[in-house]
Amino acid sequence: MKLISRNRKKWNETLTAYGFLLPNLVGLTLFIFVPMVYAFYVSLHEWNALSPKVFIGLENYKELAADGRWWASVGRTFIFTFIYVPALYCLALFFAVILNGLKQKYQSIARTMFLFPFAITSVISAVVWMFLYDPRNGFINQVLNAFGLPSLEFLGSTDLALVSIVVVFLWINLGYNMIIFMASIKEIPQDYYEAARIDGATPWKSFRFITFPLLKGTSTFILIVTTIASFTVFDQIMVMTNGGPASSTEVSVIYIYKQGFEFLNMGYASALAVVLFLIIFVLSLAQLRLYTGKKEG
Amino acid sequence: MKLRKTTLTIFAIICGLFMIAPIYFMMIGAFRTPETVFDLSLLIKEFTFENMKAVFDETNILRAIWNSLFVSTTVTAVAMIFHAMSGYALARLRFPAKSFVFAWIISTLMVPFTVIMIPLYMVTQGLGMANSYLGLIIPMIFNAYGIFLFRQFYLEFPTELEEAAYVEGLSIAGTFFRLVLPLSKPIIVPLTIGFFTANWNNYLWPLIINQREELNVVQIELANVVGGGYETPWSIVLAAALISALPTFVLFFLVQKQLVEGVKTTGIK
Repeated sequence: MKLISRNRKKWNETLTAYGFLLPNLVGLTLFIFVPMVYAFYVSLHEWNALSPKVFIGLENYKELAADGRWWASVGRTFIFTFIYVPALYCLALFFAVILNGLKQKYQSIARTMFLFPFAITSVISAVVWMFLYDPRNGFINQVLNAFGLPSLEFLGSTDLALVSIVVVFLWINLGYNMIIFMASIKEIPQDYYEAARIDGATPWKSFRFITFPLLKGTSTFILIVTTIASFTVFDQIMVMTNGGPASSTEVSVIYIYKQGFEFLNMGYASALAVVLFLIIFVLSLAQLRLYTGKKEG
Repeated sequence: MKLRKTTLTIFAIICGLFMIAPIYFMMIGAFRTPETVFDLSLLIKEFTFENMKAVFDETNILRAIWNSLFVSTTVTAVAMIFHAMSGYALARLRFPAKSFVFAWIISTLMVPFTVIMIPLYMVTQGLGMANSYLGLIIPMIFNAYGIFLFRQFYLEFPTELEEAAYVEGLSIAGTFFRLVLPLSKPIIVPLTIGFFTANWNNYLWPLIINQREELNVVQIELANVVGGGYETPWSIVLAAALISALPTFVLFFLVQKQLVEGVKTTGIK
């Protein structure tokens, strides 16, 4: 009798568990797993979305290997990342340390100000900065002129456009990353700093030998998440420059989007997407370990 | 020592002012005339509501805000229920193939949206959901990150309550919905903020999946207003930007405290 009821309970638990998991299992399969497999399948076809798919094996991959525009977009994605990620990391850490040393009242005022750009969307940030960057009358050029410097074509010159867009990303994401650092700094025991002060350590040394090493977990987290985000930037670039001028801001995702939805080369665009996936695969693995591995930070 | 602290305070506040300056210029620009919109000053010389009027007359910004609200709220609400259920099952219940199911769910985290955007478009279209609210909403619900964070929360949730409920003869599902879920606020609040803002912010997916103008979300509508032309009507564009920012401004000041606290829950771990 007891055994039967225990079996029934177990059966009941299994049923409930799968019932609870069912919507997500179906959804994740349909909207992530199937598309992932399908991306690979489509990448082996010539397909312009209107006519039927034609199997062409690895032709798309051969074509992309020789596609200068694609590799230029990959290079640009790397350049973007190598400017954006270290800059965001240093600024976020710098201001986290500065703000952390302020009185509570000023700290929360400053924090609100830094976090405020987080309250607007990507397209709004793009619009506002297009206004500030306006080549003729924009505020930034007015300030430059006031100092006797010539106006710059921030978004209209091939040299400046990418960096100008990095600035927008820094502006919108600085506050959020800063408060992640601030939260971690608050968890460092005050005794460490007391002890260091008694030993005559300068503020720089306290930072260098206490704060910085103890933020390793948080640093890793921010670096990995930001790098992945940086490899998949889209919104602001699409709105501000649409990849121009002369492709100078055409990062990989913009190029994939254009191949897929503007030139309707769905097969070729899928092959590009698969390659992008492989490029960031190592980062994704690291991110996965971050979530499933030991709790850090 | 005191002098240094004062210097740092002033430095931080000045940098903070630079951070909010672009938004401030957007706000005053929205009420300036087209001729004065580029005045490099913190004040409005000629105040006007004409830009606001033009935005309401010439664009569908209100409808777009409603669409964004509807889509983001629905995605968030459904996601919270689904992900809480799954997280609970993975943390608390025993069932066959559990570690496999967990590993499989978590592995979907490795697929960035941009990599699957083309096939996702095809799947969604194949299901007949393109150009509809369903297409904007349903594919955005499923997110292993949400499931994972609920699981983490329930792993640390005290078991006594559930045991008492079982003794009382309550079923597992009954216990979850009537006892556990109402006590899950510490994880639901930060995740709700996270999901809502992420979906409100979504631009790429609506751009791909919807061509029907009346279903434009606010991100798309605003991008259309600015267009790509050289003669951008800046005062009107800034007014449209300000209107579309208002809902999240309100949200920001309501939830800023939770946002700062939620960083620990949703950011790291």
